[in-house]
Parts: sequence; C-alpha cells; structure tokens
Amino acid sequence: MGYVLEIAQVALALALAPGLVGLIRWLKARLQNRRGAPPWQPYFELTKLFQKEVVMSNNASWLFRFAPYLIFASTVAVVFLMPLLASPLPFDAIGDLLVVVYLLLLGTFFLALAGLDPGTAFGGMGASREMTVAAIAEPTIALAIFGLALGAGSTNLGRIVTETLADPGVVISPGHLLAFAALFIVTLAETGRLPVDNPATHLELTMIHEAMILEYSGRYLALIEWAAWLKLTIFFTLLANLFLPWGVATTLAPGDLLIAIGALVLKLAALGVVVAIVETRVAKLRLFRVPELLSVSFVLALLAVTSSFLLK
Amino acid sequence: MNTALFAQLVTLSSSVVLLFGITLLWRRSLTAYIDAFRWQSLVLSVLFVLIGYYSNDPELYLVAVFFFALKVIVLPIYLRRLQARVKVVNEIEPYINIATSLILAGLLVLLAYAVTRPLVAVSTLPTRGGLPLAMGLIFVGLLVVVTRKKALTQIVGFLVMENGIALLAALGTYGVPFIIELGVFLDVLMGFLVMQVFVYHIYGTFESIDVNQLSELKH
Repeated sequence: MGYVLEIAQVALALALAPGLVGLIRWLKARLQNRRGAPPWQPYFELTKLFQKEVVMSNNASWLFRFAPYLIFASTVAVVFLMPLLASPLPFDAIGDLLVVVYLLLLGTFFLALAGLDPGTAFGGMGASREMTVAAIAEPTIALAIFGLALGAGSTNLGRIVTETLADPGVVISPGHLLAFAALFIVTLAETGRLPVDNPATHLELTMIHEAMILEYSGRYLALIEWAAWLKLTIFFTLLANLFLPWGVATTLAPGDLLIAIGALVLKLAALGVVVAIVETRVAKLRLFRVPELLSVSFVLALLAVTSSFLLK
Repeated sequence: MNTALFAQLVTLSSSVVLLFGITLLWRRSLTAYIDAFRWQSLVLSVLFVLIGYYSNDPELYLVAVFFFALKVIVLPIYLRRLQARVKVVNEIEPYINIATSLILAGLLVLLAYAVTRPLVAVSTLPTRGGLPLAMGLIFVGLLVVVTRKKALTQIVGFLVMENGIALLAALGTYGVPFIIELGVFLDVLMGFLVMQVFVYHIYGTFESIDVNQLSELKH
C-alpha cells in the first residue's frame, strides 16, 4: 500500500507542477493588468514540445542529449523521498534531507554542464551564474532544514513532519520562522524566480536559467522545463509541509489521503499567490547583489540552527 | 497568560527585533535604515507592553508609551529631516562589504549566545530565551557603527545599539525603575541632538558626511 502511495504521489506532483506554474503566471498577468494565458497553458506547452522535432548544434556531445534525462530523473527521485501526502513512507529509509539536497544539486550540476556543452556564449554565462547561485543556496537549504531537524531529532523529512504534528507549538518558535524565511529566499533563487532571475523572458543579458537551456528544443526542452516546474513544486512542498504540516496524513486511510490531497493543493496555491505577489512587487536584483541576498538567507538559516540548538 | 506562551512570544519578538538590526547591514539606502529602526522600535514597544502585562507592572506601559513617542515618532522625523538637509541617499561602500558583514553578524550572534550562556543558566525568568538575542543586537549595532562610513548611518547604528541595551534591561529585569528609564531616554535624545549638530558641522565643512574624510587634515 505504501509503495502504491509513493507512485501515486510522484504522479500527482508531476501532474500538479505545470498547473502551479500556470497559476503563478496567470496571477502575475492579472496583477499587472494583463489578461494572461489561462493557468492550464503549460500543459499545452508540454504536449506541443513533446511532439516537436529536436534540433541540435553540431558541436553538442552525448552529454547534451543525456543531461535532460538525468535532470528529470533526479528531480523525480527527490519527490519519492518527500512527505507529500502522508508522512511515514516506505522510502523514508532510503534517503533523508542530505540526499534530497544533493539530488537537487546533481540536477543543477548537469544542467550547468549541458549549458556549457554546445559552446555558446549565453550557455557559458548562464552556467557560471547558476553555479554562483547554487554554491551559496545549497548549503542554505541544508542548514535551514537542519534547524528543523535539530528540533525533531532526525534528519528524516517524514520524521520532521510527524514530530511537528505532535508538538504544534514549535511552529511559532524563532528557529522555525527564521528557517522558513531562509528557505523562502532560497526557493526564489533556486527555482529562478524574480529577484534573482526572470522566468518570463529569453531576452535579458542577466538571465540565468533561460540562458542555459537556450540551445534545447523539442522533447529535451520539454523534459528540462517539466523538471524545473517540478523543482518549484518540490520547494513549495518543503515550505508547506515542513513548516505547516497540517493536513499531511499520518495513516493510510482513504479519507485522510483525500484531505491530504486537498490540503496540498490549497497550500501550493497559497504559496503560488504569495510568489506571484512578491514577483509583482520587487524588481530584479543586479547580479552582483544576488550573493548578498543569498548571504542574508544563509545568516537567517545559521541563526535558525543556533536558536533551535541552544534553546532546546 | 500562561508562562510557556509568554516565553515563546518574548523569544519571537526578540528575534524580530534582532532581524531588523540585521536588516541594516543588508540595506543601502538611508531611508531603509530609518525604516528598519522605526519598525524595530515599534516591535520593542509592543514587547514592553507584553512584559508589563505579564508581570503586572503598569510602569512598563508608561515606559512603552515614552519609548514609542521617542523612537517611533520623534527620532525618525529628525533623522528624515537630517537626511533631507545633507542630501545623502545611500551608504555607497562600507568598510566591509555587505556579504561579509552579514556573515560577521551571524558570527557575532553566535558569540552573544556564548557570552550570555552563564547568564541564561542562572536566570529563572521566562524571558531568558531572549537575552542572547538582545546581546547579539548590541553587537550588531556596534558592527554598524564601526563598519559604515556615513555619519548618519553611524547614528542609526548607535540608536540600534541603544535599543539592544533597552531590550536587555527589559528581558533581564522586567525593566529598570521608571525614573532611570526616563534618564536614559533623555540621554538618548541629548546624544542624538549633539550628534545632529556634529553632522551639520561636518557637512558644512566638508560638504559630505563621509567620516573617511575626517582623517585628512586638508581637503
């Protein structure tokens, strides 16, 4: 039963990811007085991209063809380890938060390699920028979740959720709030959202994510885009379920699972609204100020760990 | 109000106060500095009311009112006026760059946890969780004073440091007697006015409030 649930939650995440991105885009358009494409537009984009022919540069090596599959697979693997719907899961024994962080980093690493591979100027720029961001963002993710892990006494994501459900008062402790703020900033940075990277354009000299995937087309592009949207869903789920775990099922009863699905969709949509508002309100940071923003989140995560360690 | 909830709320608002202190290190514009100071003082006065309510000490309400009037209303207005007069907008380049000073701030807070450890260990007050944060705020304020170049940002750093001391007093002893608190407020106001006069003089002589230039005899 647990294994069926694992498969089901991955299918659910894959199905929800394009909708989440579509929702954010639509909300942003509305907030900026544009009509905007409907929220289900990304599903059409995916279908269309999968049907299109692949055009590749003559200079591209096997790595360029291999990377999209690896990026997609590593992102899907993360979903298996996450407490998406129910919290004690059979795969919890396989990996904890360190595995999650490094699987995410593996995808980022291969994306940067793939950006370098065809030897275009934009790809190289994007790759070097992505690595700059990742170098500060990845330790922050680990540190922020460590802040929670210290309170729960385990680095297992499922355990953190059950412990928080057992002791809800911990949610307003400073450690939790600081870690939430840190992880929120990192979410914006890692998923290429606005103060760090502009997801809406291919035409900016300061683009990061879009610069790396500029050479991709057809099904490869579809896989990379889908993986990026899935990554956004993963980060939102981390924010929602680790910090506000209510609704996550602790048993495998069908009623609880239905509630869990409803709660997950609601939480993701609420975070989507928050991100859309943030993206409308802030301007893009100058590239040289990005490390400063990320060190803010690193310091927040450090303080979160300190306070949950010393105030135990 | 039960003690556990009170302790939780006190630690929470002390962290918010400390966060506004750290915000100073990340922002560049003077307006943002003044705003951060104002919000920090607002949270502090709420904290005074909270402690007064828990410890049943009406004097603390009065302190909160004075604190609010001085630090949320009067000082920010004067700072704005000062800023308009000397026409500075940004802290362009501090002695230590922003990323480093943020990490330094993190380390300073760790240090504060280390130094206040004995204090927290002997204290039985429910407010003891916030003591290291208050000490951390004092250090962060000092860091702002030491690393920023403009006289105005240094003043804000000083005021933030003073907020840290007020927080430490409130958490450590449920507030010092009202008469002493009044004296402190007066001192802060006087100190601020003296610094304001200094800034005007520096500006009048150098046409800039960059304290770097003060070390040169001729200009």
